[in-house]
Amino acid sequence: MKKISQTKRLTYLTMLLAMSILLHMIEPALPIAVPGIKLGLANILGIIVLYLFGIKEMLVINFMRVLLASLLRGTLFGTAFWLSMGGVTLSSLMVIILFRINLFSKIGLSVASAAFHGVGQIIALIFINQTVMMVYWLPILWFSSVPTGYLTGSLADQVLKRIRLPKLMVK
Amino acid sequence: MNKYDKYLIVFIVISSILMYSSMEWFVRASTSSQTVAVVTFHDKVVLRIDMKVNKNYTVKGALGDVIIEVSNGKVRVEKETSPYHLCSIQGWVQYANVPIVCLPNYIVVMIKNGTVNPDGTDVNTK
Repeated sequence: MKKISQTKRLTYLTMLLAMSILLHMIEPALPIAVPGIKLGLANILGIIVLYLFGIKEMLVINFMRVLLASLLRGTLFGTAFWLSMGGVTLSSLMVIILFRINLFSKIGLSVASAAFHGVGQIIALIFINQTVMMVYWLPILWFSSVPTGYLTGSLADQVLKRIRLPKLMVK
Repeated sequence: MNKYDKYLIVFIVISSILMYSSMEWFVRASTSSQTVAVVTFHDKVVLRIDMKVNKNYTVKGALGDVIIEVSNGKVRVEKETSPYHLCSIQGWVQYANVPIVCLPNYIVVMIKNGTVNPDGTDVNTK
């Protein structure tokens, strides 16, 4: 396995982070038939980084993405920020667990990530709005995670098949 | 996509349907269709009256006891202590969109889950 230099590694990670911030920021502009449901395109980068680099790097990318995107939008520590933060925390946790179990493919990881992103968002919403009623939105988010997770998972899969990077993950 | 992914997807779909139906059931069960009159004092519910039972109730208002009477699915304030007695003058009320407000006593009587006044009037001012 070819090992790359630290500088190159940093550059790759930074570019992937920039891409994920970009996807995170342009996503609300995409027209989606169902209101309240997002594709979660930025998750593609999370999965790619997980497979190319590893768990630690995925966490860095995911949390930095949420932090920097809300900083760029000017909604740092606002409602949207805490929603993203709650979602990303739980989904990253779930992805790490499933990645460690090593039974699921990228699509399975992506679906689980999308599902638990919804759960995290609902938990954040419950804390923000101080009402348990937000739980009623959970089945819809949970169900919609199947198509969105499948889409992002297969996109990540295709990207990883075509990508011409040396294997960066050091086991 | 391997078979574990398929299991996961099936699990998520089934659990979302289960969650949705249980929540639907819970909402249906918790919102009863029984018509009740809700009596509030200082915006706090002090009494819930079954509109099917003809009975008199007494609640404590700011100026004294307020006697509420239920008869044949209608409710009124029978007796109360106030300068103008507006809420007892209002008389019988049977629609959900017509509240009885005893402002000097801070007492409000509102019918929940009842029918709405067909002519759309909620309050008559004289």
